[in-house]
Amino acid sequence: MINSLRQKLEATFKDIRIAIPEESRIVVTAENDGVPAILRYLKDLGLDHLALISAVDWIEENCLELCFILTSYMQNDDEVTGRQKLHIILKTSIPREKPKFKTVIGIFPNAEPYEREIHELFGIKFEGHPRLTPLLLEREYQIPPFRKDFDTRKYVKEVFDKIPSVEIEEK
Amino acid sequence: MDRNQITKWLKAPAKMANKYSLHAVYFCTGCGIIEVPPVITSRWDAERFGVVPVATPRQANLFLITGYVSVKTLRAIIRTYEQMPEPKYTVGFGSCPVNGGMYWDSYNTIKHLDKYIPIDGWIAGCMPRPEAIFIAVTHLWTLIDKDMANAYIRYRKNYKSYRRNQELALGKLEWPPLFPVGDESQGNEQ
Repeated sequence: MINSLRQKLEATFKDIRIAIPEESRIVVTAENDGVPAILRYLKDLGLDHLALISAVDWIEENCLELCFILTSYMQNDDEVTGRQKLHIILKTSIPREKPKFKTVIGIFPNAEPYEREIHELFGIKFEGHPRLTPLLLEREYQIPPFRKDFDTRKYVKEVFDKIPSVEIEEK
Repeated sequence: MDRNQITKWLKAPAKMANKYSLHAVYFCTGCGIIEVPPVITSRWDAERFGVVPVATPRQANLFLITGYVSVKTLRAIIRTYEQMPEPKYTVGFGSCPVNGGMYWDSYNTIKHLDKYIPIDGWIAGCMPRPEAIFIAVTHLWTLIDKDMANAYIRYRKNYKSYRRNQELALGKLEWPPLFPVGDESQGNEQ
Protein backbone atom coordinates (compact mmCIF):
# COMPACT_ATOMS: atom_id res chain seq x y z
CA MET A 1 0.00 0.00 0.00
CA ILE A 2 2.63 2.50 1.05
CA ASN A 3 5.11 1.64 -1.65
CA SER A 4 2.51 1.64 -4.36
CA LEU A 5 1.26 5.01 -3.18
CA ARG A 6 4.80 6.31 -3.18
CA GLN A 7 5.34 5.15 -6.74
CA LYS A 8 2.06 6.67 -7.82
CA LEU A 9 2.92 10.02 -6.27
CA GLU A 10 6.40 10.05 -7.73
CA ALA A 11 5.05 9.20 -11.15
CA THR A 12 2.36 11.86 -11.06
CA PHE A 13 4.11 14.84 -9.53
CA LYS A 14 7.51 16.30 -10.08
CA ASP A 15 9.37 18.47 -7.55
CA ILE A 16 8.29 16.45 -4.56
CA ARG A 17 10.35 14.59 -2.01
CA ILE A 18 8.92 11.59 -0.21
CA ALA A 19 10.13 10.13 3.04
CA ILE A 20 8.69 7.28 5.07
CA PRO A 21 9.81 7.88 8.67
CA GLU A 22 7.82 4.97 10.03
CA GLU A 23 5.29 2.40 9.02
CA SER A 24 1.99 3.82 7.82
CA ARG A 25 3.26 7.38 7.63
CA ILE A 26 4.41 9.24 4.55
CA VAL A 27 5.95 12.68 4.54
CA VAL A 28 5.66 14.51 1.25
CA THR A 29 7.51 17.77 0.79
CA ALA A 30 6.24 19.89 -2.06
CA GLU A 31 6.49 23.35 -3.52
CA ASN A 32 3.85 25.96 -2.77
CA ASP A 33 2.10 25.84 -6.11
CA GLY A 34 1.87 22.07 -6.19
CA VAL A 35 0.00 21.69 -2.91
CA PRO A 36 -3.62 22.05 -4.12
CA ALA A 37 -3.08 19.55 -6.92
CA ILE A 38 -1.54 17.01 -4.55
CA LEU A 39 -4.32 17.50 -2.02
CA ARG A 40 -6.96 16.98 -4.66
CA TYR A 41 -5.17 13.90 -5.96
CA LEU A 42 -4.91 12.40 -2.48
CA LYS A 43 -8.53 13.17 -1.77
CA ASP A 44 -9.57 11.35 -4.90
CA LEU A 45 -7.42 8.39 -3.80
CA GLY A 46 -9.51 8.04 -0.65
CA LEU A 47 -7.59 10.12 1.90
CA ASP A 48 -10.61 12.28 2.39
CA HIS A 49 -10.08 13.47 5.97
CA LEU A 50 -8.00 16.57 6.58
CA ALA A 51 -7.12 15.99 10.20
CA LEU A 52 -5.13 19.15 10.82
CA ILE A 53 -3.26 22.00 9.30
CA SER A 54 -0.42 23.11 11.48
CA ALA A 55 2.41 25.54 11.08
CA VAL A 56 6.01 25.56 12.28
CA ASP A 57 8.23 28.58 12.49
CA TRP A 58 11.77 27.67 11.41
CA ILE A 59 13.40 30.95 12.28
CA GLU A 60 16.96 29.85 11.42
CA GLU A 61 16.01 28.76 7.93
CA ASN A 62 13.85 31.89 7.69
CA CYS A 63 10.74 30.05 6.62
CA LEU A 64 7.37 29.02 7.91
CA GLU A 65 6.33 25.46 7.24
CA LEU A 66 2.74 24.39 6.73
CA CYS A 67 1.82 20.76 7.43
CA PHE A 68 -1.36 19.24 6.06
CA ILE A 69 -2.13 15.98 7.83
CA LEU A 70 -4.38 13.70 5.85
CA THR A 71 -5.87 10.42 6.83
CA SER A 72 -8.91 8.33 6.06
CA TYR A 73 -11.67 6.73 8.04
CA MET A 74 -12.33 4.10 5.44
CA GLN A 75 -9.12 2.17 4.88
CA ASN A 76 -9.41 -1.55 5.33
CA ASP A 77 -6.95 -3.02 2.88
CA ASP A 78 -4.49 -4.28 5.49
CA GLU A 79 -6.54 -6.63 7.58
CA VAL A 80 -3.70 -8.96 8.59
CA THR A 81 -1.46 -6.56 10.44
CA GLY A 82 -4.18 -4.35 11.74
CA ARG A 83 -2.17 -1.29 10.76
CA GLN A 84 -4.88 0.22 8.68
CA LYS A 85 -4.45 3.87 9.23
CA LEU A 86 -2.26 5.68 6.78
CA HIS A 87 -1.16 9.20 7.52
CA ILE A 88 0.12 11.50 4.88
CA ILE A 89 1.87 14.64 6.01
CA LEU A 90 2.20 17.16 3.25
CA LYS A 91 4.74 19.84 4.00
CA THR A 92 5.48 23.06 2.25
CA SER A 93 7.56 26.01 3.31
CA ILE A 94 6.82 29.66 2.70
CA PRO A 95 9.10 32.65 3.31
CA ARG A 96 8.76 34.50 6.60
CA GLU A 97 8.79 37.95 5.02
CA LYS A 98 5.85 37.31 2.71
CA PRO A 99 3.69 34.79 4.53
CA LYS A 100 1.00 34.06 1.98
CA PHE A 101 -0.69 30.93 0.88
CA LYS A 102 -3.69 29.99 -1.20
CA THR A 103 -6.61 28.69 0.83
CA VAL A 104 -7.55 25.03 0.48
CA ILE A 105 -11.18 25.49 1.50
CA GLY A 106 -12.21 24.59 -2.02
CA ILE A 107 -10.79 21.11 -1.54
CA PHE A 108 -11.39 20.55 2.16
CA PRO A 109 -14.12 22.80 3.62
CA ASN A 110 -13.08 21.94 7.17
CA ALA A 111 -9.82 23.82 6.62
CA GLU A 112 -11.55 27.07 7.50
CA PRO A 113 -11.00 27.18 11.28
CA TYR A 114 -7.46 25.82 10.96
CA GLU A 115 -6.56 28.55 8.52
CA ARG A 116 -8.13 31.20 10.71
CA GLU A 117 -6.16 29.97 13.68
CA ILE A 118 -2.88 29.90 11.75
CA HIS A 119 -3.58 33.36 10.39
CA GLU A 120 -4.07 34.62 13.91
CA LEU A 121 -1.20 32.86 15.65
CA PHE A 122 1.43 32.79 12.89
CA GLY A 123 0.36 35.66 10.69
CA ILE A 124 0.08 33.64 7.49
CA LYS A 125 -2.41 35.23 5.14
CA PHE A 126 -4.61 32.75 3.30
CA GLU A 127 -5.70 34.25 0.01
CA GLY A 128 -9.29 33.52 -0.84
CA HIS A 129 -10.35 32.76 2.72
CA PRO A 130 -13.85 34.19 3.29
CA ARG A 131 -13.31 35.53 6.81
CA LEU A 132 -9.94 35.89 8.41
CA THR A 133 -11.32 37.46 11.57
CA PRO A 134 -9.89 36.89 15.06
CA LEU A 135 -10.75 33.49 16.43
CA LEU A 136 -9.05 33.02 19.78
CA LEU A 137 -7.22 36.18 20.77
CA GLU A 138 -8.69 39.32 22.27
CA ARG A 139 -5.68 41.59 22.29
CA GLU A 140 -3.65 43.10 19.47
CA TYR A 141 -0.13 41.76 19.01
CA GLN A 142 2.71 43.43 17.11
CA ILE A 143 4.22 40.06 16.17
CA PRO A 144 1.88 37.05 15.96
CA PRO A 145 2.37 35.26 19.27
CA PHE A 146 3.36 31.82 18.02
CA ARG A 147 6.30 33.09 16.01
CA LYS A 148 9.67 32.37 17.50
CA ASP A 149 10.69 36.02 17.67
CA PHE A 150 7.72 36.87 19.87
CA ASP A 151 9.14 37.36 23.36
CA THR A 152 6.41 36.21 25.72
CA ARG A 153 8.29 37.16 28.86
CA LYS A 154 8.86 40.68 27.61
CA TYR A 155 5.22 40.92 26.53
CA VAL A 156 3.96 39.76 29.93
CA LYS A 157 6.26 42.23 31.69
CA GLU A 158 5.04 45.06 29.52
CA VAL A 159 1.33 44.25 29.65
CA PHE A 160 0.07 42.08 32.47
CA ASP A 161 2.73 43.01 35.04
CA LYS A 162 2.18 46.72 34.38
CA ILE A 163 -1.44 46.49 35.48
CA PRO A 164 -1.37 47.77 39.06
CA SER A 165 -2.96 46.13 42.05
CA VAL A 166 -6.21 47.57 43.27
CA GLU A 167 -5.70 50.20 45.91
CA ILE A 168 -7.77 49.23 48.88
CA GLU A 169 -9.08 52.21 50.77
CA GLU A 170 -9.19 52.04 54.53
CA LYS A 171 -12.31 50.48 55.95
CA MET B 1 -30.01 21.89 63.96
CA ASP B 2 -27.04 22.46 66.21
CA ARG B 3 -28.28 23.81 69.56
CA ASN B 4 -25.16 25.94 69.95
CA GLN B 5 -26.10 27.89 66.90
CA ILE B 6 -29.52 28.99 68.10
CA THR B 7 -28.16 32.25 69.48
CA LYS B 8 -26.42 32.92 66.21
CA TRP B 9 -29.65 32.36 64.32
CA LEU B 10 -31.49 34.72 66.63
CA LYS B 11 -28.79 37.39 66.43
CA ALA B 12 -28.22 37.44 62.69
CA PRO B 13 -30.74 35.33 60.81
CA ALA B 14 -29.87 36.81 57.41
CA LYS B 15 -26.22 36.01 57.82
CA MET B 16 -26.94 32.44 58.84
CA ALA B 17 -29.30 32.00 55.93
CA ASN B 18 -26.69 33.29 53.52
CA LYS B 19 -24.17 30.96 54.99
CA TYR B 20 -26.14 27.76 54.46
CA SER B 21 -27.52 28.52 51.04
CA LEU B 22 -24.52 28.95 48.80
CA HIS B 23 -25.57 28.61 45.22
CA ALA B 24 -22.60 28.23 42.94
CA VAL B 25 -22.78 29.50 39.41
CA TYR B 26 -21.83 26.68 37.09
CA PHE B 27 -19.11 28.55 35.24
CA CYS B 28 -16.44 26.38 33.66
CA THR B 29 -12.95 27.83 33.37
CA GLY B 30 -9.79 25.94 32.66
CA CYS B 31 -8.99 22.48 33.93
CA GLY B 32 -10.31 22.82 37.49
CA ILE B 33 -13.89 22.37 36.43
CA ILE B 34 -13.09 18.65 36.13
CA GLU B 35 -13.19 18.52 39.92
CA VAL B 36 -16.60 20.10 40.21
CA PRO B 37 -18.93 17.40 38.76
CA PRO B 38 -17.82 14.79 41.33
CA VAL B 39 -18.08 17.42 44.05
CA ILE B 40 -21.69 18.26 43.34
CA THR B 41 -22.83 14.72 42.62
CA SER B 42 -23.12 11.65 44.79
CA ARG B 43 -19.47 10.88 45.42
CA TRP B 44 -18.74 14.00 47.49
CA ASP B 45 -22.19 15.55 47.51
CA ALA B 46 -21.73 19.25 48.03
CA GLU B 47 -25.37 19.59 49.00
CA ARG B 48 -24.39 18.44 52.50
CA PHE B 49 -22.77 21.85 52.81
CA GLY B 50 -25.60 23.68 51.14
CA VAL B 51 -23.67 24.23 47.91
CA VAL B 52 -25.87 23.72 44.88
CA PRO B 53 -24.95 24.60 41.31
CA VAL B 54 -27.41 26.82 39.50
CA ALA B 55 -27.78 27.60 35.86
CA THR B 56 -27.60 31.36 35.70
CA PRO B 57 -25.57 33.95 37.58
CA ARG B 58 -28.72 35.81 38.55
CA GLN B 59 -29.61 32.98 40.92
CA ALA B 60 -26.13 32.43 42.32
CA ASN B 61 -24.12 33.86 45.17
CA LEU B 62 -20.95 31.76 45.03
CA PHE B 63 -18.52 32.08 42.15
CA LEU B 64 -15.80 29.45 41.81
CA ILE B 65 -13.16 30.38 39.26
CA THR B 66 -11.65 27.04 38.53
CA GLY B 67 -8.52 27.52 36.51
CA TYR B 68 -6.41 29.72 34.31
CA VAL B 69 -8.12 32.83 33.06
CA SER B 70 -7.42 33.85 29.50
CA VAL B 71 -8.20 37.37 28.40
CA LYS B 72 -11.31 36.19 26.63
CA THR B 73 -12.53 34.34 29.71
CA LEU B 74 -11.91 37.40 31.86
CA ARG B 75 -14.54 39.27 29.89
CA ALA B 76 -17.08 36.53 30.60
CA ILE B 77 -16.04 36.37 34.25
CA ILE B 78 -16.58 40.09 34.77
CA ARG B 79 -19.96 39.99 33.09
CA THR B 80 -21.00 36.98 35.15
CA TYR B 81 -19.78 38.52 38.37
CA GLU B 82 -21.57 41.79 37.80
CA GLN B 83 -24.85 40.00 37.14
CA MET B 84 -24.84 38.13 40.43
CA PRO B 85 -27.04 39.60 43.17
CA GLU B 86 -25.43 40.66 46.42
CA PRO B 87 -24.24 39.26 48.76
CA LYS B 88 -21.89 37.31 46.56
CA TYR B 89 -18.74 35.38 47.33
CA THR B 90 -15.87 34.54 45.00
CA VAL B 91 -13.31 31.80 45.47
CA GLY B 92 -10.30 31.30 43.22
CA PHE B 93 -9.66 27.60 42.76
CA GLY B 94 -6.23 26.30 41.83
CA SER B 95 -2.94 28.07 41.52
CA CYS B 96 -3.59 29.70 38.15
CA PRO B 97 -5.99 32.43 39.34
CA VAL B 98 -3.67 33.12 42.30
CA ASN B 99 -0.59 34.16 40.33
CA GLY B 100 -0.80 32.59 36.91
CA GLY B 101 0.56 29.21 37.95
CA MET B 102 2.27 27.51 35.05
CA TYR B 103 0.91 30.21 32.75
CA TRP B 104 2.77 33.03 34.44
CA ASP B 105 4.51 34.09 31.22
CA SER B 106 1.77 33.25 28.78
CA TYR B 107 0.89 35.70 26.06
CA ASN B 108 -2.84 35.46 26.65
CA THR B 109 -3.41 34.57 30.31
CA ILE B 110 -3.95 37.19 32.97
CA LYS B 111 -1.90 36.44 36.01
CA HIS B 112 -3.53 37.88 39.11
CA LEU B 113 -7.27 37.53 39.10
CA ASP B 114 -7.70 39.80 42.12
CA LYS B 115 -6.62 42.76 40.04
CA TYR B 116 -9.85 42.50 38.07
CA ILE B 117 -12.51 41.20 40.43
CA PRO B 118 -12.37 40.93 44.23
CA ILE B 119 -11.74 37.50 45.71
CA ASP B 120 -12.86 36.24 49.11
CA GLY B 121 -10.59 33.25 49.34
CA TRP B 122 -8.15 31.11 47.48
CA ILE B 123 -7.73 27.37 47.21
CA ALA B 124 -4.10 26.72 46.33
CA GLY B 125 -2.89 23.62 44.55
CA CYS B 126 -2.69 22.18 41.10
CA MET B 127 -5.15 20.46 41.24
CA PRO B 128 -6.80 20.87 44.61
CA ARG B 129 -8.66 17.79 45.80
CA PRO B 130 -12.47 17.93 45.94
CA GLU B 131 -12.19 17.98 49.72
CA ALA B 132 -10.41 21.32 49.39
CA ILE B 133 -13.64 22.84 48.12
CA PHE B 134 -15.37 21.79 51.36
CA ILE B 135 -12.53 23.20 53.44
CA ALA B 136 -12.94 26.41 51.49
CA VAL B 137 -16.69 26.39 52.07
CA THR B 138 -16.28 25.93 55.82
CA HIS B 139 -13.68 28.71 55.86
CA LEU B 140 -16.12 30.85 53.95
CA TRP B 141 -18.73 30.17 56.66
CA THR B 142 -16.28 31.45 59.26
CA LEU B 143 -15.57 34.52 57.17
CA ILE B 144 -19.28 35.22 56.75
CA ASP B 145 -19.77 34.85 60.49
CA LYS B 146 -17.03 37.40 61.16
CA ASP B 147 -18.20 39.78 58.38
CA MET B 148 -14.89 39.25 56.60
CA ALA B 149 -16.31 37.87 53.34
CA ASN B 150 -16.69 41.40 52.10
CA ALA B 151 -15.42 41.16 48.55
CA TYR B 152 -18.60 42.55 47.05
CA ILE B 153 -18.39 45.55 49.38
CA ARG B 154 -14.78 46.07 48.32
CA TYR B 155 -15.84 45.88 44.71
CA ARG B 156 -18.43 48.56 45.24
CA LYS B 157 -15.95 50.74 47.13
CA ASN B 158 -12.98 50.41 44.79
CA TYR B 159 -14.94 49.99 41.61
CA LYS B 160 -13.04 52.78 39.90
CA SER B 161 -9.70 51.05 40.08
CA TYR B 162 -11.20 47.64 39.28
CA ARG B 163 -12.81 49.09 36.20
CA ARG B 164 -9.53 50.78 35.25
CA ASN B 165 -7.69 47.45 35.46
CA GLN B 166 -10.40 45.70 33.46
CA GLU B 167 -10.06 48.31 30.74
CA LEU B 168 -6.27 47.99 30.78
CA ALA B 169 -6.55 44.27 30.12
CA LEU B 170 -9.52 44.16 27.78
CA GLY B 171 -9.47 47.47 26.01
CA LYS B 172 -12.74 49.31 25.89
CA LEU B 173 -15.57 47.50 27.66
CA GLU B 174 -18.86 47.40 25.83
CA TRP B 175 -21.02 47.55 28.94
CA PRO B 176 -21.56 50.61 31.13
CA PRO B 177 -20.05 50.85 34.60
CA LEU B 178 -21.94 48.97 37.29
CA PHE B 179 -21.34 51.68 39.88
CA PRO B 180 -20.63 55.36 39.26
CA VAL B 181 -17.00 56.07 38.42
CA GLY B 182 -15.12 59.28 38.01
CA ASP B 183 -16.23 62.85 37.80
CA GLU B 184 -18.51 62.92 34.80
CA SER B 185 -20.88 60.28 36.15
CA GLN B 186 -21.04 62.14 39.46
CA GLY B 187 -21.79 65.30 37.55
CA ASN B 188 -24.69 63.63 35.84
CA GLU B 189 -26.23 62.79 39.17
CA GLN B 190 -28.15 65.48 40.95
